[in-house]
Amino acid sequence: MVQVQGLTKQYGSVLAVDDVTFDVEPGKVTGFLGPNGAGKSTTMRMILGLDRPTRGRALIGGRRLAELGEPLREVGALLDASAVQPGRTGRDHLRVAARSNGIAPGRVDEVIAEVGLGPAARRRIRGYSLGMRQRLGIAAALLGDPAVLLFDEPMNGLDLDGVRWIRRLVRELADEGRTVLLSSHLMSEMQQTADHLVIIGRGRLIADASIEQVLHGEGARQVRVRTPAVDRLERALARHGLQARRLDDRELLVEGVPAGTVGDVALAAGVAVHRLAEESSSLEQAYLALTGASVEYGTADAALTGQVLP
Amino acid sequence: MSVTRTGEPGMAGLLARAAAAEWTRMWTVRTTWWCLLAAAVTVVGLGLTFGIDVGGDPGGAPPAQLAGEIAVLPGQFALLVLVLLAVTPEYATGAIGTTLQWTPRRGVLLAARVGMPVAVATAAGVLLALAADLAAWAAQPRMELSFPALAGSLGSIAIVLLAGGLLAVGAGLLLRSTAGALAAVFLVQLVLPFLLPAFGVGWMSALSLLLPGSAATFLLLGEPDMTTASAAAVLAVWSGGALAAGAWSLLRRDAA
Repeated sequence: MVQVQGLTKQYGSVLAVDDVTFDVEPGKVTGFLGPNGAGKSTTMRMILGLDRPTRGRALIGGRRLAELGEPLREVGALLDASAVQPGRTGRDHLRVAARSNGIAPGRVDEVIAEVGLGPAARRRIRGYSLGMRQRLGIAAALLGDPAVLLFDEPMNGLDLDGVRWIRRLVRELADEGRTVLLSSHLMSEMQQTADHLVIIGRGRLIADASIEQVLHGEGARQVRVRTPAVDRLERALARHGLQARRLDDRELLVEGVPAGTVGDVALAAGVAVHRLAEESSSLEQAYLALTGASVEYGTADAALTGQVLP
Repeated sequence: MSVTRTGEPGMAGLLARAAAAEWTRMWTVRTTWWCLLAAAVTVVGLGLTFGIDVGGDPGGAPPAQLAGEIAVLPGQFALLVLVLLAVTPEYATGAIGTTLQWTPRRGVLLAARVGMPVAVATAAGVLLALAADLAAWAAQPRMELSFPALAGSLGSIAIVLLAGGLLAVGAGLLLRSTAGALAAVFLVQLVLPFLLPAFGVGWMSALSLLLPGSAATFLLLGEPDMTTASAAAVLAVWSGGALAAGAWSLLRRDAA
């Protein structure tokens, strides 16, 4: 169980993380989602006690991480797979971790086998691919058999096999009753991996809900309607208390109703409808709807989608 | 998957673990070994050369411990680099973040991170100085080898290396950069103490006596013109100041 309570981090006049509160429950994979620069990594660094919160606190199993004498037995984390000394071998890296937390040295070879690092563990990290570094980072996270696991963008730079392996691993870890927090800027990835979503944008909490709730919540019910008589339809919709947004001089976007309602209104008003479509309710679009207003450097829609769908 | 869980250890246990982790960190990278090799070649090589060289002097031979004292003067820099490289590279890679996940109590990490490299460098320096003394004496047995004098000399060398190591580790923790910390340590330990008096200007020479390099040189060779008390005070102020600044940086600032 991870509790984030009113966590805030301010750099000068910039609020990187702004009063974020959420709980991460055991037995589930919780996806921590947000565009690049939304404050995901800063939040995770504060949970791990690496950065000092300006306000608020984060608790792991009811305690602040900085109080833990044997943190690896409570929480395993992979923040940045490159944050290792390249001159050391992978195995020596894990030996240091084991010694620092009083973990039996035999456990080192167990986790090396578990993540499939194999003989590469005896080579210097300098020569590792990003995928191997991710595996090494996960090996370190698993070393103390912790109840809480935090992974920051663990699928970055992995090939398909690696991605599948991580998906399977986080599922197993959650099924064993552990608390798993997994950050990503990829909605599609979360759709396949997470049970629950915590979404942040520009440092603020946007949503804390199950995948189903996000899927069927905001952004899912949008109807795009094309008509030669945009003005008349807009007035007719307004008479029915419906908000319509004009996309261009032929198209309207209506929120919060199914396509049938819009069609009925158009028929009653005697307006021709050339196209009527309910926007598909993919998580991706829900995510865009939720974070669209909060992308820090978003200038155009193209840039935004480019960021979310690389 | 099974990890035996025992009760969390007390402060002494945590310190012992952090120290053990630092020990493993030091010996599992090559730079430590290269620095030790460089120190060994410099100190023992210079000591031996000193012994061979004084053999040609017709006058009375100097005491053997002078070999180690002269040799440590340049040789200390390999050991200071060893200390720095136990601290600063983690800031370039971000590995300090990983380290703090494993040892989140920063006071515990600070004690281990300062203590272990400085202890290793000091012990290595004292042993190498002893080897230099013996090498010189072996090359020129006319040299006087008195154990009380030898012990006193090695004590001075230990103080110089301890002070230099603390200065280096403090600068490393504060500046978080190998190049920056290396430049700072070399400036106050080597370059300025020798450069400032060379101008022959009174205040520059006076200023140089306030630098740790001058105090270290005085404790080793008895020059420049200082007293033991003033040299000790200069070393204490510089090492203590650097350590306090480095400790603040590790304890109070964000990890990286």
